[in-house]
Amino acid sequence: MNDHEYDVVIVGSGIAGSVLTKTLTQAGKKVLLLEAGLQAGIAFDAEKNFQNYQYYLNTFYKAGAKVPNSPYPNIEDAQSINVLDIEKITPENKPTTNGYLVQEGPLPFASDCLRGPGGTTLHWLGSTPRMLPNDFRMKTEYGVGVDWPITYDELKPYYEMAENEIGISGDVEDQKVPEKVVGDKTIYYNVDRTYGKDYVFPMKKIPQSYLDKVCMNRSKGLKVELNKVVYDIVYSSTPQGRNSIPDPRYKLTGITWDQRAKKLVLHRKDDYEYQPVGSNWDPYTGQRCEGNASCVPICPVQAKYNALKTLRKSDPEYLAIITQAVASRIFYDKGSNDITGIEYKKYKYADSTVFETKVAKGKIYVLAASAIENAKILLASGIANSSDQVGRNLMDHFVMLTWGLLPEKGFPYRGPGSTTNISTFRDGTFRKEHSAWISPIDNWGWAWPTFAPGTDLSNALSEGMFGKKLRAHLNDVITRQLLLHFECEQIPDPNNRVTIDPKYKDQLGNYRPVIQYQSTEYMNKAMEAAKKVSDQIFKAYGVEDFTDYTMKNADAVKYNGKVYNFWGAGHIVGTHRMGSSKEHSVVNPDQRTWDHDNLYLVGCGNMPTIGTSNPTLTMTALSFKAAESILKQLEKNEDHGSTFSKKQFETT
Amino acid sequence: MEALFQKSNSKRHRLISNKFLQSLNDRNFDLLDFDKLKENLQSAIELEHSTIPPYLCALYSIKEGTNEFAVKTIRSIVVEEMLHMVMAANILNAIGGSPAINTPDFIPEYPTKLPMIDETFMVDLGKFSKESIDIFLQIEKSADHKPHGGDDYHSIGEFYTAIRESLILIDKNTPGGIFTGKPELQVTSEQYYGSGGKLIPVYCLEDALEAIEEIMGQGEGIDNSIYDGDQEMFGEDKEYAHYFKFNEIYHERKYSPTDKSDDEPSGHPINIEWNEVYNMQKNPKMSDYPVGSELYQKTYEFNKTYMALLNNLHDACNGQPDMLLKGVALMYDLKYKALELMKTPYEDDGLMAGPSFEYVN
Amino acid sequence: MSKKTPKESFLTISVYLTGYSQVDLLGTGMLDTYYNTFVENLEIENVTTYFKEVDQILDNSGNSEEKINEGITKVLFGSALVSLTTNLITMWYTGNWGQDVISPESYTQGLIWNAAQAHPPGAKQPGYGSWADEPIEIPTI
Repeated sequence: MNDHEYDVVIVGSGIAGSVLTKTLTQAGKKVLLLEAGLQAGIAFDAEKNFQNYQYYLNTFYKAGAKVPNSPYPNIEDAQSINVLDIEKITPENKPTTNGYLVQEGPLPFASDCLRGPGGTTLHWLGSTPRMLPNDFRMKTEYGVGVDWPITYDELKPYYEMAENEIGISGDVEDQKVPEKVVGDKTIYYNVDRTYGKDYVFPMKKIPQSYLDKVCMNRSKGLKVELNKVVYDIVYSSTPQGRNSIPDPRYKLTGITWDQRAKKLVLHRKDDYEYQPVGSNWDPYTGQRCEGNASCVPICPVQAKYNALKTLRKSDPEYLAIITQAVASRIFYDKGSNDITGIEYKKYKYADSTVFETKVAKGKIYVLAASAIENAKILLASGIANSSDQVGRNLMDHFVMLTWGLLPEKGFPYRGPGSTTNISTFRDGTFRKEHSAWISPIDNWGWAWPTFAPGTDLSNALSEGMFGKKLRAHLNDVITRQLLLHFECEQIPDPNNRVTIDPKYKDQLGNYRPVIQYQSTEYMNKAMEAAKKVSDQIFKAYGVEDFTDYTMKNADAVKYNGKVYNFWGAGHIVGTHRMGSSKEHSVVNPDQRTWDHDNLYLVGCGNMPTIGTSNPTLTMTALSFKAAESILKQLEKNEDHGSTFSKKQFETT
Repeated sequence: MEALFQKSNSKRHRLISNKFLQSLNDRNFDLLDFDKLKENLQSAIELEHSTIPPYLCALYSIKEGTNEFAVKTIRSIVVEEMLHMVMAANILNAIGGSPAINTPDFIPEYPTKLPMIDETFMVDLGKFSKESIDIFLQIEKSADHKPHGGDDYHSIGEFYTAIRESLILIDKNTPGGIFTGKPELQVTSEQYYGSGGKLIPVYCLEDALEAIEEIMGQGEGIDNSIYDGDQEMFGEDKEYAHYFKFNEIYHERKYSPTDKSDDEPSGHPINIEWNEVYNMQKNPKMSDYPVGSELYQKTYEFNKTYMALLNNLHDACNGQPDMLLKGVALMYDLKYKALELMKTPYEDDGLMAGPSFEYVN
Repeated sequence: MSKKTPKESFLTISVYLTGYSQVDLLGTGMLDTYYNTFVENLEIENVTTYFKEVDQILDNSGNSEEKINEGITKVLFGSALVSLTTNLITMWYTGNWGQDVISPESYTQGLIWNAAQAHPPGAKQPGYGSWADEPIEIPTI
């Protein structure tokens, strides 16, 4: 390949990479997309696409443990993190080296992501609440963490683009989230200000579950007390990236690059009717969520958004895709600090040890390979790290789960993973003391913490139950299961980090990420507080509490004499954060590395703090911002009047 | 000649009930008779409905994970039949009528006959097979818009044309017009998805005419070049007529862009696995089983679900359009109940039970 | 009655073990698969013993459900056979043999989801918005 054959080289076809690929190729920029996963996963041909997806689905059916990555190939050449590999870390068992990650602890990092075409959006849940304005100024408001270099208002237009691209179903009115309690009065965020007057989502809200309604009905007017402050329990329907009924009021048609204004524009048309985007193999499949209740790990009809839907909208004239190409190193010019190429290893077939090493070249380079992978590649290349922040500030939501039996049937195991959340503790002055959290009501019973309903069956069998009695018992127990999440924000901690160690490499000779991870007082206190809140909510619901925390769990902490367990949320954030100064951050507000003018990073790694929102929507908004910055940069440098020779679509 | 490929819906099948036959044979029916017009629209609803059980049987009999093309094709056709049924109800509501969807004679008794004089063939409830697809082809062909010889023979196209003319004439001759139905009775587009076509709510004559166009499938014809590189790569197929869709299944081959409507398909082969089906007994009946037996019970439960769906559709078309949403769950439930029957041996002869689509109380 | 084939005995005893009717079990389409899985995973003498015990329970009960249940508790949940019995029930309820999913289809046919008035995640989806209401209940005769 010749120098500067491409305008932009992008690593990774997840949502960040796909948003960039789509936006840049539609603006006529030549893009080379490198994807580590298998060729089959990117098939644009309807039939091949369907067959590949059916293969995923059958793999999922056949999997003993239906964990998030269970449907997808986990290839030795580009391993994915698998939650089944998580072990307790002890002085005797340290580091743990099962699977892809090397975990030094003291606590194991408990979240996974997917390295393959479409990235983790293949198994994401799809919840898409925006971050709250105060999440962007944690240092100023609460004296913890850092402020973002941009405000909520500055990100707002990009949120609108992300919501358009993903296709969000939701009700803006329901996003009236408490900001703080003053005296005995709760102050709410005003949606006319946070979302803008008359703003609506592309589709109406996904119906809230019967279970949600049972919970809401049993707790009308409920107030809970925490550290002598009384809080209203507030329920919000959760905006989500899955198809529902189009909202006729939504008039935003799509995003294009306005060359003259030098910005991305989200167009409006008054006679527009939004069309839900169906599956990648048949536009009529998946126009509505069909209630498969398996968003994680796989939506069988693709009513749930995945990044390949965006990638398909790319202009094929300007796009080349190379799959089975694992980025390993980035080269730069020691004089100018400009990036000169990305080295990748193209393996022959799944698990093959045979590979060719090649270098991809472009004017601009973008890493969109996930927060952990991006950091790892940067560390392996010794670049972009003058701040010493690369790999640091690794964050996730600590998901503390509480579970019990309702006094009536709520009929879980139906519908999307969650359709309603308790938004009471998403913000407030308590954040000076401990984490905020969002509390989704889980629609899937106790499946997560106890592997129900399989364990309900084995427990009943061990008691000698069978026949009609067994059937009736299962009906009684499973239909009353309730699970609440308390997804607590982590604060950036430089010691929670991704590093590399020559001792740990994969079969292509690429580094495996080495993780150090710990909990802090700020989060332990939040779990203590959340359990107190859970107890009060359960009492109001009339729920019999079956929550069982033990030090045997991989992620267990003892705080004030009590044990708490938490689980990973799959929200991997913060490893190459954005900031307002070169000294304390890796990228600037344009998502460009401070150290290299032609290197951009995208994905959740750029987020300085995590807030209480599932991060995908926010990182997608940031990806549009990155696309805009790249287009500006390309067009500034461009030789006016030059034309590109059209590049054939290739996916070799 | 009609174009082979259409953007919207297609030349349509019709399976015709006895009631409908009468109206066709009554050649002098007065286009100005308002009651007759309402009757004809009710017949139209019944017609649209009557192909649904045979198509569903064929669809459900295909084993999971096989015959992807056939499943996708038949599914989309069934969804479109439902669309047309609801649109006929919309027209009837718009002129102050009341669609009846849950009466005992709403469901034909299978096997049922097609009214075409020269081509008598029976339509069964049966599995997906070359034979059943052949019947479906004949059903779809009967919708042919071409004039036929013989005094008694009228096409479905002519029937809808008569409704169309009747609507125009009566509307014109009635002071204030006939579109006085309550607008809130209309089922609107937000309740429809999953296939081509468009659900048109009817508030005035123009809407009614558009809905009839949609039902008759006289959508915009386009030339034969459906495959440009991008579309193929990105999997965007054009919609085309039901007859041609079934013909592709029958011949196990896709049409190529240059095929004419009279040609057999000559494009890429399609993988049709005729044996990957549940061997459903033809035209099962509850009366096949001893009252109270497990299979009797299962078939009854299926029919009960089917009735719940018809009741739901009835309510949706009589003032509660949002009920259509709840009908979706019944549709799916119907499928799973049908599948259970199709996996249960009928007798010891290798045949399986199946859904009987009968009226039950 | 004792002229039953082992597969027939398997089906009959499965009705009492699972609490589902014969047609419910047949309606899963899994009888052959499950019978074969059961037989293939056991030593031949264990198969013989198991069906001998099953037939004895069925034949000596005079079709009394109560007596059959007593026999099941005493013999099939007795220490010698309990693990076979629980494996058999687990197979119908989850489509698993031990920890292994027998086939993609067996997963989707697990009766536990029916018992829970739900559906196997990722299969037999109930349709848009269904989760907002109680599960559909169709009255039986």
